[in-house]
Amino acid sequence: MGSSSKEFFRQEPPILDSKFLDWKFLEWKKSIAGQRGKQAVIALVLVLLVALTAWRCNVDVQSFITGINKGFPLVGMFFPPEWSGMADMLQPLGVTTVMAMAATILGMCLSLPCALAASSNIAPPVVRQVMRAFIALERGLPEIVQMLLLIAIFGLGAVPGLVALSFSSIGMLAKLLADAIEEIEPQMLEAVAGTGATRSQVIRYAVIPQILPALFANGLFRFEFNVRAGVILGAIGAGGIGYVMMTAMNSMDYQKACMATLLTLTLVFFSERISDFCRTRILDGGTPR
Amino acid sequence: MLHVSNIVVQLPNGKRLVDQVNFTVGRGEFVGILGSSGAGKSMTLRCIVGLTRPNEGEISITGCNGKTYRTTNVKAQELRRARRHIGFIFQGSNLVKRLTVLENVMLGRLGHISPVRSWLLGFKDAEAREAMVALDRVKMAHCAARMAGSLSGGEMQRVAIARAIHQRPLIYLADEPISSVDPRNADAIMSILQPLSHETPVIGAFHQPAAVAKYCTRAIGIRTGKIVYDGPAQIAPRQLEYIYGESDGDSASLVWESDAQPPLFNSGVEAVLHEGVTV
Amino acid sequence: MNIEVPAGALPSRKFRMTILYLAATAAAICLLFTYLDMSPSSFVVDFRFIVDLVQQMFPPNIALFWTKKTIFLSLIDTLSMAFLGTVCGGGIALFLAFFAATNTTPHPLVRLAVRTLLAMERSIPQLIVILVLLITVGIGPFAGVLTLVIGSVGMYSKFFADSIEQADKNTMESVESLGSTRLQTIRYAVLPQVMPSFVANLFYAFDYNLRAAIPLGVFGGGGIGFELAFANGLLHYKDVLAYTILIVVMITAMERISDWVRRSIITQPQLITK
Repeated sequence: MGSSSKEFFRQEPPILDSKFLDWKFLEWKKSIAGQRGKQAVIALVLVLLVALTAWRCNVDVQSFITGINKGFPLVGMFFPPEWSGMADMLQPLGVTTVMAMAATILGMCLSLPCALAASSNIAPPVVRQVMRAFIALERGLPEIVQMLLLIAIFGLGAVPGLVALSFSSIGMLAKLLADAIEEIEPQMLEAVAGTGATRSQVIRYAVIPQILPALFANGLFRFEFNVRAGVILGAIGAGGIGYVMMTAMNSMDYQKACMATLLTLTLVFFSERISDFCRTRILDGGTPR
Repeated sequence: MLHVSNIVVQLPNGKRLVDQVNFTVGRGEFVGILGSSGAGKSMTLRCIVGLTRPNEGEISITGCNGKTYRTTNVKAQELRRARRHIGFIFQGSNLVKRLTVLENVMLGRLGHISPVRSWLLGFKDAEAREAMVALDRVKMAHCAARMAGSLSGGEMQRVAIARAIHQRPLIYLADEPISSVDPRNADAIMSILQPLSHETPVIGAFHQPAAVAKYCTRAIGIRTGKIVYDGPAQIAPRQLEYIYGESDGDSASLVWESDAQPPLFNSGVEAVLHEGVTV
Repeated sequence: MNIEVPAGALPSRKFRMTILYLAATAAAICLLFTYLDMSPSSFVVDFRFIVDLVQQMFPPNIALFWTKKTIFLSLIDTLSMAFLGTVCGGGIALFLAFFAATNTTPHPLVRLAVRTLLAMERSIPQLIVILVLLITVGIGPFAGVLTLVIGSVGMYSKFFADSIEQADKNTMESVESLGSTRLQTIRYAVLPQVMPSFVANLFYAFDYNLRAAIPLGVFGGGGIGFELAFANGLLHYKDVLAYTILIVVMITAMERISDWVRRSIITQPQLITK
């Protein structure tokens, strides 16, 4: 500490002597130096990782610049969008929407029993472990991989897409719900059990009402995600607007692709708005029942 | 009639939380259990309803038709049957916050409903009307359609009492029903519980000797798991001191001895504090 | 008995309403299915197909892990794509977030413009972005990285802006009262507050991008997704299963690791202030 601060303490009756202050100051300096060192190490590791990954991913300023130079004319070819194609695209758009919607509802319905079986305060430990492993598997399996395998079973069409999306919805929702169930206060369950209710009645009247808002809120979030994922799955065989986009791009019909993009953009935009709106209403203590 | 005979709750390390507790509660009684925190009041009540299994002893409840229900040494199904007849009011009320108040009251009858019906159909209108009557008794009928989570602490406690009333039990147990509410609500709750005791015995654990003296017909004092007082609700100050362990060999020092920690207030602590300031 | 049950709380009425909602939802789904020519009968699959597929898949070609050296390189490619996409996207998102948050934006109109643009940008389907980028910068992980950057910017600048808006106002005011400029206020009052949630969100973004990198690979973005799609195209299902196992292990492991790191980072500041 500088001399000015020592002066300050001399004017007043001394509360703390300077030795103690110096010691405290050194301690502070040491902790700051430690923090700085840690930050430097983290920064160094980050820079190294970025360099390494950039090299692996062939990041190249040259190709980026040529990409931009090539990109603008290409994007220019997208306009004007082919408005006349809109009428034909509404059906595929509907397929994507319904696929996402049905997958969300199916996922919500199935994730409830999975979540109950995966929570420590409801299910026996063995069942819980098995269910948690199943959920982890679901979460680790990207929907596109599931889709590729399901196409081999169901053939092309919306059905494999629907199944793939609902499976991965179960993975996400069941994990979030199981965590929500495990957070329920045990006293509340005890209070319902204290009236002589069976375990299934406790689940029906104490657990389910408590997690229903979380189920709906996360389900809406998942719907938004499913719309986005449904477009991608469409391109590899689930049909819908993604397929239209893919074929239009492959046949270099850029104006048609632009129309499909605009429609998808609108769909995603509004699904986000609607799910945001409903979510705030549910979480604001609205009546979810 | 509630018979509690010789119940013992023991921790794995041999420490007894409830030690040989014996009492009988009959018609028309409003029993207040007093004792300092951790003396074993709540544990005794939890044993009666079977949420904690005592290591020894027996608890039985006899209805007016002579039928006897046990909550000790019984199978899960029999325990559930016994619990239907015990109205338990928890300290924090423990309502299901995302259900309406009326539904929370109706939960009291879950023990009488088959699980299949509760999953498929839910409650009946007649049950809802009965629940309204119970709600009216605690003066909460105007809140019936509200979410339980939006109520205040005192209101929740009243709804919890309504849930117990709707159970039509043979005995009410109240675990510190007024410890987490303000004095006015506490008064209201006590004056709800008192008339209940004319029909059905009420046992409550309390921290307020004044409230016990005002409303109860009988008091039981528990100290470190043992009953040290059983008699009229108006307790002499000397006896009260003994229950709360302020006279000879106070309970606080007992606790410190067992945990090998120094007592909180002695001159040594002050000296240390003083040194810390003047370094 | 003159106390009436409120009409909305009557159990029979509630029951009827629940049934009505469920029936309406089911009917709507069924109607939409038939209207969109997605016949539910296609759900009924010949069980033979499943048995066939399983037979073709088992045992997985685990030997691939040591016979094919490039498999781990492509795994690293996928991880690199996700990492680079997260770092670049997160950086740009943080920068834009200050313009999109009410308490740090230079002007409300700027906020509105940035927010609208971000909402539009977020809605652009990833599919069209990767398809366009494959044409312009060529097939390979670079196109995948750029797609992930674009996706992350849209998604996370909104999250960051929201967390900046939740920053404690009093702290900002107290720093401002010392005569600091706007940039200084952001540096000393806002940034320390939002940093933990920012870092935590970046780890989520990495998890998300790792999952997103696999479909991008399928379309030509390189990495393990590309290998998987290639094997699938050749109907080498034993290889496909081996790749699938690899992907599941990678994603699960990364999720665990990022969970662990996130938790240790978030609890750290509390230890320091002690």
